[in-house]
Amino acid sequence: MAHFLLSLGRVIKFSFQDVLRNIWLSLITIMILILTLSSVNLLLAVRAISGAAIGTVKEKVDINLYLRTTAEHDKIMALKAQISSLSDVKEVRYVSQDEALSVFRQEHVNDPQIIEALKELDKNPLTPSLVIKPKNSDNFNDLINELNKLESPIIESRNFEDHRLMLSKINAITKRVSDTGFVVSLVFMSITLLVIYNTVRVGIYTHRNEIAIMRLVGASNRFIKGPFLVSGVIYSLISMLVVIFGFFLFLNLLQPYLETFFTGYNFNIISYFTTNFWPIFGLEFLAASVVNMLASLVAASKYSHV
Amino acid sequence: MIKLKNVSKFYDPNVVAIDDISFHIKPGEFVSLVGQSGTGKTTLVKLLIGEERISRGEIFVGGWNITKIGQSDIPYLRRQIGVIFQDFKLLPKKTLLENVEFALQVCGKPMAKIKKIAPQVIKIVGLENKMHRYPHEVSGGEKQRTAIARSLVYQPKILLADEPTGNLDSINAKEIIDLLLKINSFGTTVVLVTHNRDIVNKLRRRVLTLHEGRLVSDQAVGKYII
Repeated sequence: MAHFLLSLGRVIKFSFQDVLRNIWLSLITIMILILTLSSVNLLLAVRAISGAAIGTVKEKVDINLYLRTTAEHDKIMALKAQISSLSDVKEVRYVSQDEALSVFRQEHVNDPQIIEALKELDKNPLTPSLVIKPKNSDNFNDLINELNKLESPIIESRNFEDHRLMLSKINAITKRVSDTGFVVSLVFMSITLLVIYNTVRVGIYTHRNEIAIMRLVGASNRFIKGPFLVSGVIYSLISMLVVIFGFFLFLNLLQPYLETFFTGYNFNIISYFTTNFWPIFGLEFLAASVVNMLASLVAASKYSHV
Repeated sequence: MIKLKNVSKFYDPNVVAIDDISFHIKPGEFVSLVGQSGTGKTTLVKLLIGEERISRGEIFVGGWNITKIGQSDIPYLRRQIGVIFQDFKLLPKKTLLENVEFALQVCGKPMAKIKKIAPQVIKIVGLENKMHRYPHEVSGGEKQRTAIARSLVYQPKILLADEPTGNLDSINAKEIIDLLLKINSFGTTVVLVTHNRDIVNKLRRRVLTLHEGRLVSDQAVGKYII
């Protein structure tokens, strides 16, 4: 055990020496790692923001069931009760013909042409409606199917296709953002692999005399390859620290804009990353270290037989 | 101590480096392995330290059959055989003492032991006054003595010296040979690979002569014959 710790200590010491002696190569490797990790974190931020935005939009989406103007009040209430009992329904609100008109006037208060047109009509052109809020916007289709099955003579129209279209558009945008981010991260990850591999190769070339002497005096393969593996972890650690610092700086600048965008909603991107600090940055550090070590191991195995 | 049985080494079927060589070197012997350049002397050294694999035959070092030695066992073999080369193979950015210490560090020796052993071997080779100098600050002979000191840190039973005087003038060369004889007098088996006729003839020790990859002569008290 003591022997293992002693060897490990020396491997770490030699790794630090390697990182410092090849300072330019080390800096390039760290820069590439920073780019990769930043792209991954940007993707996560975009996903978090788009997720919150979509949630907000979905919350605003409700379904209107338009009723006949001749519908009697007790029949409307019976229909409201029937819809409320559906499993996917959160809330049903009855909007009378007068209330609909009042809301319409308020929404178009700055549009004199429409207000004038309303005045010219001698009766209320709007119909009463039931505004249905779904429990879960993911089950939107199920709810629409159930509403389509409803048979009642007081229902005037039930065209829900606009809602379907809007939701599918939102989902398509989310998917596109995710896919693009994934491809960008993958590209950076591949570049990282190649750069690390090349760094180790150049490092081995620079140290070929030292490696030859190590072999000559009986150093084990683990001792020869060890410093290159540990250097990979050092690169990952430095890059991760820089990314964390830079990224939180960026989030602090971003948050005021998001607050304006999400007015009335409780969404804080900084809280999102601090709450998930270890699952996000811990895993990123682990992944970067593993990628680094793999590239180092392959390069060291291939080129250290000098 | 070293036993070769019908050893051959081909780089491809038409390039024969070593051709069916057999000999036995006993513990404590001082043997010169001589021959012209390109005759297979260095290949033989590489086979003995596991740097190259033999194509045919068997090799025993200290009773250990290294014919099919695994990669993971090579470091242990090299800790039993001290090797020095014509080009010294010292690290230029380390002092003479640090070069010797480095050999112990990479094999995981504790620092207390390193601090005890390294100055001792430096003293054996007579460099105690120059041990804090860098290789470029000392003569070729002193560099070679440092390489010898480094090879002695594991107290090897065998010391392979591949053309150790090739880069030295006659005075430094004599000092190195004297040092090898001194090490041999402590019981270490020494194999001196050389094509220096004068040195071999003055030693009056066992001489193995290689010619075109074959062992053409094995004399108990020999001379350089080719």
